[in-house]
Amino acid sequence: MDTKAILDHQFVVAAYIVTWVILLGYLGLLLRRFRRVREEMKDLKRGE
Amino acid sequence: MKKLAIGLYATVTVALMIWGFYQAIYVAPTDAMQGEIFRIIFYHVPSASVAFLFFAISLLGSIGYLAYRHSHPEWAQVADAWALAGAEVGIVFCTVVLTTGPLWGRRAWGIWWTWDARLTTTLVLWLIYVSYLLLRRFAAGPQVQTLAAVLGIFGALDVPIVYMSNRWFRTQHPAPVFGGDSDSGFKDPLMLHAFGWNILAWFAWGILVLCFRYYVERRQQKIAANEAQEALDA
Repeated sequence: MDTKAILDHQFVVAAYIVTWVILLGYLGLLLRRFRRVREEMKDLKRGE
Repeated sequence: MKKLAIGLYATVTVALMIWGFYQAIYVAPTDAMQGEIFRIIFYHVPSASVAFLFFAISLLGSIGYLAYRHSHPEWAQVADAWALAGAEVGIVFCTVVLTTGPLWGRRAWGIWWTWDARLTTTLVLWLIYVSYLLLRRFAAGPQVQTLAAVLGIFGALDVPIVYMSNRWFRTQHPAPVFGGDSDSGFKDPLMLHAFGWNILAWFAWGILVLCFRYYVERRQQKIAANEAQEALDA
């Protein structure tokens, strides 16, 4: 493998990693929000 | 039954993502002109397609909210939840586009960014929807949903401009993969297959996340409505 191919490969890997960090990071935030909402819904039902 | 269907869909989606990754890295041949860096297209273009679809959903939701906010308040809330979910998840995919693009550009062009029509209009699109979310997060009062819906409609107007930008203007951005001139499209069927699998996988993933975001928003609306009712009763 020449230097260009190695660098290209590293950039492809970086792009794929960044993509999954963004997607899974958002999913993590969404899950946290979901848990909070679920707790609030439980409190709501208990109140009723 | 519903949980089983969701679990099955999520499993198929993850399997598709893994299969798409395998196709992109190991099956699609290296591009003769660009080399290895070409493989970024398998994440970059599907992300842009999903973002465009979700901004379109946000547009429909915003129109629905404005149309029904007086006559059918419950329908308007459903439409508003779709508008918000579409905008938020669309921004996530648009962020992927705006980060994978410069990584490709650095290797292909030697620069991270250039103010050409496609890149600039995409950045403007992202900024409009970020302002949409900021408005919803920090503004208060009964008009927030209406203002957000109007902004959502104006934001969506940028989507066709982004899509057509490298057809209307002379840009540094590569020509369209599909729907361009006679020279556009994948020349190798293996590249086309890899691209097709990734498009399928990204749409499946996007729809899963979008529906989850919608579900959370509907519950948040119910909690907010209940709190408002309690405040009125007190």
